[in-house]
Amino acid sequence: MLKAIVIDDELYAREELIELLKETAEVEIIASCSNAVEGLQKVNSLKPDVIFLDIQMPQITGLEMLSMLDPETMPHVVFVTAYDEYALQAFEDNAFDYILKPVEPGRLSKTVKRLKSSIAKRDYSGLLQEQLELIPCAGYNRFILVKPDEIEMAFSDQSGVHVITNMQSSTEQTAGCSLSLKVLEEKTCLIRCHRQYLINPTAIREIKLLENSLAEIITCNGSTAPVSRRYLKALKDRFSLS
Amino acid sequence: MELIFSLLQQLSVYLVIAYLLSKTPLFMPLTTVSGHFSQRLACYVVFSLFCVLGTYFGLAIENAIANTRAIGAVMGGLLGGPVVGFAVGLTGGIHRYTMGGFTDTACAISTTAEGLLGGLIHSYYVRRGLVDKIFKPSVAFVVLLAAEVMQMTIILLVAQPFEQALHLVKAIALPMIIANSIGAALFMSIIQDRKAIYEKYSAAFSSKALKIAERSVGILSSGFNQQSTKKIAQIIYEETGVGAVSITDREKIMAFIGIGDDHHLPGTPISSECTRQAIQNRELIYADGYEVAYQCSLHEKCKLGSALVIPLVGGEDEVLGTIKLYEPKQKLFSTLNRHLGEGLAKLLSNQILTGRYIEQQTLLTQAELRLLQAQVNPHFLFNSLNTISAVIRRDPDKARQLIQHLSQFFRRNLKHNIESVTIEEELAHITAYLEVELARFSDRLEVEFQVDPELHNVVVPTFTLQPLVENAVKHGTSTLLENGRIQVKGSIVRNSAQPLVELLVIDNAGNYTVKENETGLGLQIVDKRLKNAFGQSYGLQMSCEKGVSCTAQITFPLLEIKGVNKKNA
Repeated sequence: MLKAIVIDDELYAREELIELLKETAEVEIIASCSNAVEGLQKVNSLKPDVIFLDIQMPQITGLEMLSMLDPETMPHVVFVTAYDEYALQAFEDNAFDYILKPVEPGRLSKTVKRLKSSIAKRDYSGLLQEQLELIPCAGYNRFILVKPDEIEMAFSDQSGVHVITNMQSSTEQTAGCSLSLKVLEEKTCLIRCHRQYLINPTAIREIKLLENSLAEIITCNGSTAPVSRRYLKALKDRFSLS
Repeated sequence: MELIFSLLQQLSVYLVIAYLLSKTPLFMPLTTVSGHFSQRLACYVVFSLFCVLGTYFGLAIENAIANTRAIGAVMGGLLGGPVVGFAVGLTGGIHRYTMGGFTDTACAISTTAEGLLGGLIHSYYVRRGLVDKIFKPSVAFVVLLAAEVMQMTIILLVAQPFEQALHLVKAIALPMIIANSIGAALFMSIIQDRKAIYEKYSAAFSSKALKIAERSVGILSSGFNQQSTKKIAQIIYEETGVGAVSITDREKIMAFIGIGDDHHLPGTPISSECTRQAIQNRELIYADGYEVAYQCSLHEKCKLGSALVIPLVGGEDEVLGTIKLYEPKQKLFSTLNRHLGEGLAKLLSNQILTGRYIEQQTLLTQAELRLLQAQVNPHFLFNSLNTISAVIRRDPDKARQLIQHLSQFFRRNLKHNIESVTIEEELAHITAYLEVELARFSDRLEVEFQVDPELHNVVVPTFTLQPLVENAVKHGTSTLLENGRIQVKGSIVRNSAQPLVELLVIDNAGNYTVKENETGLGLQIVDKRLKNAFGQSYGLQMSCEKGVSCTAQITFPLLEIKGVNKKNA
């Protein structure tokens, strides 16, 4: 059985697709999400084999969401759309899987069969954005969309990735982020200063040099981030310090 | 006595020259008192000439000259003002001085003084607002009389020896006073005649032109076709009184009214060489029947004997057609009508162009409406079908209802030719639309209607509310992660003398960004159609509080509601 997540902002559309997928008896639906932010969280935590992704969704479209997924753990993607000339052309050109709404059961089962036979990784780079415009974050009981240049730093711990924005004081609770540090490093202005820390160069107020060729960064808002030996040189070079 | 006749004889020659000169354009500025530099200059030039002429025509007598110089100086002052009078007098005076004689200084002074006197009279009348009086021959007569008396006095005072001066004055005073006064009066009457003729001509011209313009207004806005040109030709025929009027386009006769309409038939191709030439060379052709022969190209016995063909030139030198005026063989073309014809051609060209423009505008709005109707969002269509196919599984009755709503929505969209609908019908249209959207976004969309039932019979252009509601969903609530809410409100605002209808479509997304001149096509068309229907001060206004709400507001005057009257009847 393929583990699948269905992501679509319309309730009936979601239910209909889940129903049809169940009928194929080849797919196990492990979650269904009504938007991309929720979708990112579930994809990161549940690691599905395949996601059925609607393109037109509020705030973050299916295509934008694709750019936010970590390429390492990228599941197989089947695009679902009612009507989108340009996207369809791109899918055709790159031989990506897609299905049209209203969903035709025959077409769906063909897609599922093909998925089962070759679950080999696909290269979605043609569809990916170079830079992310919005970073979905989960605050206390709500979603927040943060612009990358508003982020002072991002770090990971056991509970996942967190970001600190320039709106927050250092004492405030940090927002959880469903993107991996790697995606953030590649697709935003943040740079690595530690295995578990990314820092926005424009937010650095002070770099304090410590013993053992370690250092510590203090941001404009007063948060601190450690700098490891490995990244200190790159950081110094960047600011022409030596 | 002999001197009087001699002087009057000279005066006659002098006046003949004045008369001939009055036929030239140089004379035109003299007939008005405009105070323009050009008018003053013309006065100076013309009257200095007459001043000098008066001296030359003078009769040598007792080492002095009996003359009509004063006419030029005084008339120059009267028509040109003090400065011109002074200048003319001085010019004439200096000229006289160079001729010598014992009165040379006295004459120079007195001529200058006469010019100044005329100028002062001019100022006096202008200040009192009695400009017309300046042109009265009687005034000229009296002023000249006074001027000549003054001159005689100056001669007596200045010229030496006094005895000789006294003797001279005794001999020339009466003849000069009489000749100059009569001369001035006659000169002024020439100018006055000229002025009267010109004014009469231009009055007749403008009144005819204005009448034709007034009567023909708007006729060509329905297009340049046989019906509209026939009306125009009829008006021109009645107002100008020419033998016949014809209007052609580039290929054929569009309209023909008057003598010869039995064989000059609208719809037949142009056969006259004159007309073809006028169209080809963009030039006015005047076949007067004498110098340029005119013969009707259609019928040998046609009574028309002369024709004026004027091309109708539109923008970019394109010839739209011609207008032709005819006179029968025994009648002459009046200059008035010839000039009028040229003006009419300009008027018609402008009206044709305006008509074309209006026609294009209406076509454009029709095309835009089609576009708006055709703008059924395919995304909406396929998503709706997907929703229905999901609903069929769980609730076939609801699915059937949704299909009804969807077909109602499309049916209304396909009504191409209806210009306006009642608000009630428009509400039915958006209800059908929203029912489908409510099913699509069943878990996150709310809709609320608050429309005053009094408004139900109010008529609005078709597609007034639907695009706003569709916009509120498409660019508003559907982009929200949380619950969307759309309110449709309608009320009558009675703050001022003119009650206003106010329609609001509000969403809680607040996504609308005001970009100068770049609102969506759909909204632009809604606004344009409302402005067309109700006037420029009404229409659609968008306002947005970022992230909170977006309001589309429509206002227009509440007009008489037909439905209410029907109920009473």
